[in-house]
Amino acid sequence: MKQAFKYAYLAFIYLFLYIPILVLVIYSFNDSRFSTNWQGFTFSWYAQLFEDGPLMEAFANSLIIAFSSSTIATILGTLSAFAFYRYRFIGRKVTYSFIYVVMMSPDIVMGISLLMFFITVGLSTGAATLLLAHITFCLPFVVVTVYARISGFDRNILDAAKDLGATERRMFRHVVLPMLMPAVIAGWLLSFTLSLDDVVVSFFTTGPSFEVLPLKIYSMVRLGIKPEINALSTVMFLMSLVTVTVSHLLIAKENR
Amino acid sequence: MMKKLFLILMVLVFPLASLAAGNEVYVFNWSEYIDPSVLKTFEKETGIKVRYSTYESNEAMFAKLKLVKKNGYDVAFPSTYFVERMRRYGMLKPLDRSMLPNMKNLNAKLLDKPYDPKNVYSLPYMWGSSAIGVNARYIKPSSVKSFNDLWNPAFKGKVLLMDDVRDAFAMSLRSLGFSGNDTDPAHIKAAYEKLLKLKPSVKVFNSDSPKQPFLNNEVYIGQIWGGEVYQASQENPNIVYIYPKEGATFWADNMVIPLSVRNIKNAHAFINFMMRPDIARKNCEYVGYATANAKAQALLDPKTRNHKAVYPDNRDLERGEFQADVGDAIAIYEKYWEMLKTR
Amino acid sequence: MEKKSGFRNVAVGSTLCWITLFVVIPYLIVVAYSFLTPDPSGTVSWIFTLDSYREIFSPVFLIVCKNSFALALSTTVLTLLAAYPFAFFLTRISESIRRTLILIMIIPFWTSSLIRTYALIILLKANGIVNTFLLSLGWIDEPLNLLYTQLAVFTGLVYTLLPFMILPLYASLQKLDTRLIEAARDLGATSPRIFFHIILPLTLPGIIAGSTMVFLPALGLFYIPDLLGGARSMLIGNFIKDQFLVAGNWPLGSSASVILTLLMFLLIAWYFLSSRKINQGDMREVI
Repeated sequence: MKQAFKYAYLAFIYLFLYIPILVLVIYSFNDSRFSTNWQGFTFSWYAQLFEDGPLMEAFANSLIIAFSSSTIATILGTLSAFAFYRYRFIGRKVTYSFIYVVMMSPDIVMGISLLMFFITVGLSTGAATLLLAHITFCLPFVVVTVYARISGFDRNILDAAKDLGATERRMFRHVVLPMLMPAVIAGWLLSFTLSLDDVVVSFFTTGPSFEVLPLKIYSMVRLGIKPEINALSTVMFLMSLVTVTVSHLLIAKENR
Repeated sequence: MMKKLFLILMVLVFPLASLAAGNEVYVFNWSEYIDPSVLKTFEKETGIKVRYSTYESNEAMFAKLKLVKKNGYDVAFPSTYFVERMRRYGMLKPLDRSMLPNMKNLNAKLLDKPYDPKNVYSLPYMWGSSAIGVNARYIKPSSVKSFNDLWNPAFKGKVLLMDDVRDAFAMSLRSLGFSGNDTDPAHIKAAYEKLLKLKPSVKVFNSDSPKQPFLNNEVYIGQIWGGEVYQASQENPNIVYIYPKEGATFWADNMVIPLSVRNIKNAHAFINFMMRPDIARKNCEYVGYATANAKAQALLDPKTRNHKAVYPDNRDLERGEFQADVGDAIAIYEKYWEMLKTR
Repeated sequence: MEKKSGFRNVAVGSTLCWITLFVVIPYLIVVAYSFLTPDPSGTVSWIFTLDSYREIFSPVFLIVCKNSFALALSTTVLTLLAAYPFAFFLTRISESIRRTLILIMIIPFWTSSLIRTYALIILLKANGIVNTFLLSLGWIDEPLNLLYTQLAVFTGLVYTLLPFMILPLYASLQKLDTRLIEAARDLGATSPRIFFHIILPLTLPGIIAGSTMVFLPALGLFYIPDLLGGARSMLIGNFIKDQFLVAGNWPLGSSASVILTLLMFLLIAWYFLSSRKINQGDMREVI
């Protein structure tokens, strides 16, 4: 009975998450450029998609930025969470409160203030400034996730490691990090998700030569979002699904 | 002495020369607002590479151009009253007509408007109007003649208003007999009070894509752009466009050269290319909005050319009014807008 | 503790540098702007004034704040209620497929949220999938009003923010020692008692982390409520965006943002004090 409820609930949430995805996949075959009503079946959006150079370029740019910003934010954020937990240093509390400031800053405020900062220090906008901005708004999500896990730790474990003569670095690498891993992965996934979907901050912090996908999608709204975007989402969705399944099978094989 | 001078000159010129080296044009526009094949043709014919960036609202584009003062964009496409704002705050470079021979192809009725007298800074690209959309299945189109018909209690819960302070207020102001660009606080207040009475009837505020709620059968009457009705009617012929007797509000998207221009020659080359009749026609057919190019308009399929939602007749064009900047009065508008949205 | 550890310097140094450069300084720019005079050309003129703060405390802004806080709070509660059992059950699944299940949970979120919201509209609209389905079954005679309702807004918000609750919850539930639960059960504790006295306190850090990561971003969100709710009311996000982009009043937008941060800190401080009074425990570890 209890088991049944468990699986039923999990299935319910997955269904909730996947029904809209299913809808957008179906509508990528919709033979209408403007509408959200069904007009007939077509493959033409897929054909157009693979010929749309600028769209594919923006998509690739988005993946590059999302991957690198979430990785750097995860490394930095994990170190920060550990620093906040373990060390007492000047500005610790103030710095930590600014983590929350980032999280609650409306996108427009963050985008404009970062752009003003970049202009003031003489950085011209482009891929580099976009990367810096993305790392910055992903960072708090890593810090908070990792800190939540680390704060439940038994401090004695760390002290024991120290007593056994481990340096701080070795202790972090061999004792702390393995225990933090689920939170580190969670932080990376959240950052990747955030970065891939950001519009407003990206608009202000990127330059004319570096276009990312969300900007392209949102600026289509006025003229109607082409189902080409649905086709792109479907392709990306299938790619992720295949990657996850293959890696799952590989790991399962290894374990056997 | 001469040697020194020469050296200084070299140092000054060299960075400039290296900047000009990349033969590119940076275009800032909505996505899907140009036929992609047009960009390819431009690159092939001129050897200038097009870098196309996008924005999602005039306001955001304005804010970004305000901050980025150098190495920005060569050509941008602001709508009517943003041209006026950018012109007033010195954010635009005047156009050099000697580099724009294709100007002669433009529709004279759209030139020399109050937002840019004599077209010193801008040239129209596409244009259109905002008036009333009706779903004929639920409301008889002949019964709707004025903006005031939106207030008809029979339509309660089925009305759409634009989610944009200027568009919504322009409609209310016109229904009261004022100009949609009015700056008199008393008139704006009256428009607010009238909108407040309409609010209980409003099902949705939407200015991103007002045709969607119509196509979704969520609303039966409301403010909409002509181009959107044209698109929607291809799918649901019941959705029709009505020019009210007070006159519609007209807008145009215009090509301008921002102050942050990198290569002014390429910018002109691009603008001139966009005004070539065959190119303007391609863009118009791809985008589905009315072209500001008279020569291109003549080349269009008669079905499109005669569609009233896209190309109004002279009477409706004359009754209407182009949207203009309201200057400082925007603060008053915004105050009342906030009050409307928090009631 | 060795004070001269190079590792410590790297960890602390990088944290301080990054946050100072890319968070504190831009934030100070915002604070500075909130004390300047709006300039009609769109930015500011460098004249000190308190006008923005005088202006901000208007009934309109208070209503906007109240709306946003209420929306963010209810979203957080709903997300927590949906996510907690999910994360809990996930930790009770064989380890070999758990990681894969997590990834399958997050994949939908790699699609643009705008596109996903449009998909929700296709489901909920008057001639949408849900209504067509119910009509064809004959369960209803005319389309239900689903889109542009509170229900639609919350569905969209919970949908969008769910992973931000699930992942931190999972990360903290996953280390929960099941032996504790078994021991309690052996001692005769009932299920509710076990939940409220053992599981809940031990997963509190995860709950707080998740709630923070849902509540704070939800405060500034307006795109989804506008699209699904019909944009009939104004939220803080709209208000601030309008000041910057429509009204060209950057100081007012900045001061609204500053006030928002201050309110938040008051809330956190109040939370500190009350929780410390309640259990005398060191809540600093949690927040």
